[in-house]
Amino acid sequence: MPIDLLHQAHSAATSNQWAAIFPELALGCLALLLLLLEIVLPKAAHRHIPLVALLGQAGLLVGLLCNFDSVTLGATSFNGLLIHSHQGQVMRAFFLLSSLLVTVLSMISLAKQSVPRVEFTHIVLIITAAMMLLAQSNHFVTLFVTLETVTIGFYILVSYYRTSPFSLEAGLKYLIMGALSSGMLLFGITLLYGVAGRTVGADGVVHTGFEFAVLGDFLTAHPGNFLASAGILLVLAGIAFKIGAFPFQIWIPDVYQGAPTPVTAFLAVASKGAGFAVLLSVLHVFSSYHELLMPVLTVMAAATILFGNLAALTQQNVKRLIGLSGVSHAGFLLLGVLASAYVPMALGAVNFYLFAYLLASFTVFGVMAHVAGPNDAEQELDHYNGLMKSNPFLATVLAVGLGSLAGIPPLAGFMGKLFIFISAYKAGFYGLLGIAICGVVISIYYYFGWIKAAFFASADPSPAPEVKAISINWGARLVLTALAVLTIALGFYQGPLGAWVSNR
Amino acid sequence: MFNLFALLVVFGAIGVVVSKNVVHGAMSLLVSLLGVTGLFVLLDAYLLAFVLLLVYAGAVVALFLFIVMLLDTHGDQRPGVKHLPLIASVITGALVVVGAASFIMHARLPEPILANVPVVGDSLKHYAYQLFTTYLLPVQVIGFLLLIAMIGVIVLSRKHEEAAS
Repeated sequence: MPIDLLHQAHSAATSNQWAAIFPELALGCLALLLLLLEIVLPKAAHRHIPLVALLGQAGLLVGLLCNFDSVTLGATSFNGLLIHSHQGQVMRAFFLLSSLLVTVLSMISLAKQSVPRVEFTHIVLIITAAMMLLAQSNHFVTLFVTLETVTIGFYILVSYYRTSPFSLEAGLKYLIMGALSSGMLLFGITLLYGVAGRTVGADGVVHTGFEFAVLGDFLTAHPGNFLASAGILLVLAGIAFKIGAFPFQIWIPDVYQGAPTPVTAFLAVASKGAGFAVLLSVLHVFSSYHELLMPVLTVMAAATILFGNLAALTQQNVKRLIGLSGVSHAGFLLLGVLASAYVPMALGAVNFYLFAYLLASFTVFGVMAHVAGPNDAEQELDHYNGLMKSNPFLATVLAVGLGSLAGIPPLAGFMGKLFIFISAYKAGFYGLLGIAICGVVISIYYYFGWIKAAFFASADPSPAPEVKAISINWGARLVLTALAVLTIALGFYQGPLGAWVSNR
Repeated sequence: MFNLFALLVVFGAIGVVVSKNVVHGAMSLLVSLLGVTGLFVLLDAYLLAFVLLLVYAGAVVALFLFIVMLLDTHGDQRPGVKHLPLIASVITGALVVVGAASFIMHARLPEPILANVPVVGDSLKHYAYQLFTTYLLPVQVIGFLLLIAMIGVIVLSRKHEEAAS
């Protein structure tokens, strides 16, 4: 072994700063601990294991927020595989919060089925750790490996209710579509890697097109390269699958319907957030090709908003409805991402929208997990008839969540949309803004159809199906109340969170 | 040599798609993989070639054959091709041809200066150093990936007895 190569290896090894990814490491260890507890503890104590996960995640979230600025922001670690930025920290908090809420949902929802619960939480934790690394990746190898970990975890979670044919069908569809999108992404990465080639730096270290900085420099130096353009489009297509943007949204309704309710929430919020985290970081790399990107993304955003809203109009199944309305939310977020190329405030707007979407979605999913019967895939709008009479608490919380998703003025969702629209206006996307406003108007129709089902007695004379009393334990009640109150509070006062997410 | 191996890859891949007999399909996959192995050898990436041969040609295709034998899926008549999928396939095929043609017409890689290209693919030691220094994080992540894949297989395939609650 030549001595200089040994020195290189040594310097590479010293840049592996495990402390910089402490939250991810801790999540991984927590996941392993859960499995260990399942082996060690007696069967009767197994139902308390998700509680351990819950406490651990809450502790990590608090720790992350307390040490928010302590990591050297802007620094890279692991030989440039990861970059620690403000945006990365915000997304870390986002994923941790959503996995925390998914754990709460799973404790409500999985209790109605006979499926193993500890493994569910274990996989959720691993996926979350992978997403947190994904949001900080600065290298295509990290990006792909973490993205695959997320995707493979979701293959399992989507088909988790394996006695339900809907769940199995959803799992199969997600597997095929996910494999296709990963293939596209990988093909795009390969093209970009091949075209950027490898360069040997002054220090003798070999740099390749996998590194975002190297690729960005190459793209700036070679505008209009055919292979690079093809690679960029393929990478975008792969990411568009993950966020469910038109025309890659075909898998959404079936998968959202068949997947267990907590997984649907996880897919809708965290997986979409991960897609946008990747999109934001690769768009930064591809920014010198904006003449290619802007038209593609503009058409994609417009089509996504219109398709999502129009397709959601006719849905009777609430999971399909929330899936298709999620497509339109992806469209609004794309609008914000587009604007972020021109207006700095748009990035903050996207972050705020993501958090408002998280709060509102989990409010709605929390209610869905309670209302759902034994057949998780068949949750129709009719099941919500008379919810106000049988359970005023759930109905009120549902109204707050749906109102926020629709963008009704005093709620957080309205402010999120407003911020995105203001930045789009500043960036000069007038046509797209018009389409987005049309989309909002359409969305109010179907969201209010759902609220109407819950609050007003149905017009048809046939008696409403026997509404059984829904028991809510105090923990779920507390979480739902907190989510709804936060949604309302963020609509009136965005101060700390607004400043926190938009501060760069 | 390159052309020979490339032809093997392409014809093997076509064979997988068109062969009616599943065993023939698996064998065509083997041929295709052998072609890819040859391509890696031409690139001096002996380790990759070896791993591909061992893992894919050796283990994966053998597993495929084993499952085919186990399930005894032969002679299933394929359903007739309907109009809409046919039209869609023709359009997709045309797009693939256009895409391949435009790649051949426009795609130009810069000519590499061979003297500047370090030959690293042939040394097992180099891979090992890379994996345990530069790429240590992805290796660890893949460890977790394999763990959840294993747990997922167990959870989804095992008969779950009623939870003792």
